[in-house]
Amino acid sequence: MKQEQRINVDLEEIITKYRPVITFKVIKAIGSHTPEWEDIVNEILANVIEKIRQKKFRGESTIGTFIYTITQRRIIDYIRAKSKSLTQVPEPKPYPSPLETLEKKELSHQIFQAIKKLKPKYREILYLYYYQGLSREEVAAKLGISSKKVSERVHYSLKLVKKELKTKK
Amino acid sequence: MKKCKYEELIDDYLLGRLSPPEKEAFEEHYFNCSLCFHKLQERDAIISVIKSEGVTLFQDIYARELTKSPSWWEKLTAFLPFPQVAVAVTTAAIVLLVVLGINSLRQPSSPQFILTDSQVRGESITLISPVIDINSIPTEFRWTSLGNKIKYYRIYIYNHELLWSHQTEENFVVLPEEVKEKLKAGEKYSWQVKAFAGDGHLVAVSSRVQFKVTPRQ
Repeated sequence: MKQEQRINVDLEEIITKYRPVITFKVIKAIGSHTPEWEDIVNEILANVIEKIRQKKFRGESTIGTFIYTITQRRIIDYIRAKSKSLTQVPEPKPYPSPLETLEKKELSHQIFQAIKKLKPKYREILYLYYYQGLSREEVAAKLGISSKKVSERVHYSLKLVKKELKTKK
Repeated sequence: MKKCKYEELIDDYLLGRLSPPEKEAFEEHYFNCSLCFHKLQERDAIISVIKSEGVTLFQDIYARELTKSPSWWEKLTAFLPFPQVAVAVTTAAIVLLVVLGINSLRQPSSPQFILTDSQVRGESITLISPVIDINSIPTEFRWTSLGNKIKYYRIYIYNHELLWSHQTEENFVVLPEEVKEKLKAGEKYSWQVKAFAGDGHLVAVSSRVQFKVTPRQ
């Protein structure tokens, strides 16, 4: 009985909560420059709702895991279908440009300004760790500090950026 | 609020450092953890800006690195993959030099093929781009010009072996399509330029510098 009650999911809540999560995963997998990404997200949500209505979600896993499994399968199907029609599998850009919405562009601009404002030692840590993609140990060796200090400095740099973004709101 | 253990994996996930099973486990987790997903979105937005606008954001740091002259150790390890190999090669080189030095005392001096800084009168070729991680396969390789005394340059691109070599009179080269196809994302490459005078005499050699095309997510 308790399991049945848990399975009584609010479909509207599912769409609201999981659309951004599914969107994030799909875009990471196939890229925002791929025009079909939005259709794929909608297909996944439709599939999730249909399966819930057909009582195929029995509560054996969490709803998050259930939706993740459906999302993964759809992405794999898409990539397989694309690889059959092209000589090469379409590879997403490693860091596609932020989505072309005004809000996203504004946020990117604010992040840019926030990073620019950082003191040199905090910008340098972001440059080495994220832009150059060095490991903590490599950054530590380069700067002559401990790996722990690198983690702390990265964490603090991000904290400063987020703090600057909050003051802009 | 108790920190989620998966929070520490956010950077590794976004920078493509997780193994496939780890990546799957992390992805399944953020489908179930609103807190981690929120932090993931925040971090992704910041890293996206860093990666796409990095050239502008970190111009001063990048320029400082270009003008910094590498120590002999940094020059040596720039193209050697592992520190242990670097130590072994350096030791072997020292032993070889000692042996050659002893031999040269008995024989007339032979032509030198190894240029020292004094022989090129302090000039060296600085490689301009690509020199660090890049988001896409480079289309052009560029280096500093040494002026009219140089008849031509020769560029060499390596992964584990020589991938491509080309001669040019300019201080840049546009990569042919067939060579671009050989460069794969996630792989490390290095390149070097040598400058020759009109009589074919080697005038200057750049350091061998690594670059990597950022792996795909």
